[in-house]
Amino acid sequence: MNINNRKSSLGNLIKAEYQKVAFLKFSKVFLISIILASLTLGLIFSLTTSVTQGKAISEISSIDVISSCMLGVDVTAIMLIIFAAISNAKEFSTKQIHVTLAVTPNRKKLFLSKLITYFLLAMIVSFIVTALTFLAGQLILLINGSSMASLADLFLRQFILGTLFMPVFYCLLTVAAVFVFRSSGGAITFSLAVMFIPALIKMFSQSIQKIILPLLPQASLHSLSGTVSEGSIEILGIGASIILLFMWIGITSLIGTFQFVRKDV
Amino acid sequence: MIELKSLTKEYKDKVAVDDLSFNIKPGVVTGFLGPNGAGKSTTMRMILNLVKPSKGEVIIDGEHYINLNQPIFKIGALIDADALNPKLTSFQHLQLIATASGISKDRVIEMLKKTGLEKVKNKKIGEYSLGMRQRLGIAAALLGDPETIILDEPFNGLDVDGINWLRSLIKDLAKQGKAVLVSSHLMSEVEAVAERIIVLAQGRLIADMSVEEISEKSFSGYLRIKSENNSKLEDILKKNKAYISKDGEDTLQVRKIEAEKVGILAKENNIAIFELTKVQPSLEQLFLELTEGKVDYKSN
Repeated sequence: MNINNRKSSLGNLIKAEYQKVAFLKFSKVFLISIILASLTLGLIFSLTTSVTQGKAISEISSIDVISSCMLGVDVTAIMLIIFAAISNAKEFSTKQIHVTLAVTPNRKKLFLSKLITYFLLAMIVSFIVTALTFLAGQLILLINGSSMASLADLFLRQFILGTLFMPVFYCLLTVAAVFVFRSSGGAITFSLAVMFIPALIKMFSQSIQKIILPLLPQASLHSLSGTVSEGSIEILGIGASIILLFMWIGITSLIGTFQFVRKDV
Repeated sequence: MIELKSLTKEYKDKVAVDDLSFNIKPGVVTGFLGPNGAGKSTTMRMILNLVKPSKGEVIIDGEHYINLNQPIFKIGALIDADALNPKLTSFQHLQLIATASGISKDRVIEMLKKTGLEKVKNKKIGEYSLGMRQRLGIAAALLGDPETIILDEPFNGLDVDGINWLRSLIKDLAKQGKAVLVSSHLMSEVEAVAERIIVLAQGRLIADMSVEEISEKSFSGYLRIKSENNSKLEDILKKNKAYISKDGEDTLQVRKIEAEKVGILAKENNIAIFELTKVQPSLEQLFLELTEGKVDYKSN
């Protein structure tokens, strides 16, 4: 009999979680769609500046052209939220979780393996989209006879890194939220609410904005990418931004793990 | 060995399992019976830590399930044949389990062959019949070559060939020294494979004994007797605390006395015996007898 009686390792669990994604045609199609949609919309955003900003491409700085194109990464974030929610919630809806838990009864370890798998997946997708949208922006500048943006520019590097981490953050938040709500709908609603609630808060008074806005992930993400204007309520230090983002994922994960460990399946 | 100690599961509106204690012994096929809602599936889920007990515990070779490093080498289970992602193929489903447990791909192929699914291994599970999904569940249960196998309603959806195959598989597993716990509503199937019966009703243990023991203690089993003087024999047997009922004009149904004792009493009283037959109850009769009045869900 050919059974390898090796110890259960986190590495094996991560491999298995990756296979859960890779085995499904839906996953492969969706992930490719994320990349294509993000790139397409990024191109649209940057090619329509004459409509959206009232300025032609040649009248905008190279960094603004690049950042318009990299708005496609926002699309990546939204689509990764949907992907992470559906993929993880499916395990509950199909009752496949029964088999998963029979194999891996340590629910905290299982949760951690999912978080790591989706972190790696989101990093790869986000990196590809960030790279493609950046290069697309450069191409647009080249075609329009403008000077290309230089990676030697500290602000540009900060902007690229900060933008790269945004989809990763929302993807991890969603994975944790699936275990809180045990549904894809709940997780998607939660993550999108976290993403868009700053727009709602900005309708309130300055005093309320000053309290709430800095606590929301958007402030941290904008601060990390350097897109927060001087004197803005949302401005946070790099350290504070990273801590806040970790807290959002950490607290959601703690609640998700608590629910997962406590509830029967 | 698996030990269930005072296992209890309470929900808001009912007690699904009530102070249940028994052991699952190696080398024995144990039939796990009970009417609908008796608590069999809940008990099996508590063994696998899918459901947390309100009280009590399950010990597997001295450990709780959650602390086992590689539980599928200890316990293999088929709890729900529908606990599958229909978009996966059977090969992929087993491969996921194998990857998580560090089991080689060869073992996956071996189990697919063993359960007759090799030819459809690349077909999506969503296209499988219930019987095929049952086979896949059994393949998953056996993947780690576990010491204990727990099968909840494994005969559901299987055709005649499948039932015969599973029967011999279960017996074979017990012969290998494995502990097998099989729950089923198909009494005939449990009767065909089980040496020991555990009966649950309304969450409580009703019986935990060998099939022979239950048969002997059962009111359903009796001696069918024809003699030259039934009324005299009846009086003698009643004096010896037997329970007598009539089966037609010339036949007695006698309970609570051994056949040997009947023969000796008849001889001592010079009564010729024309027929002395031991009628064994079927498992179904035993089950109905044991669970009389303890069924939560019963049709009119």
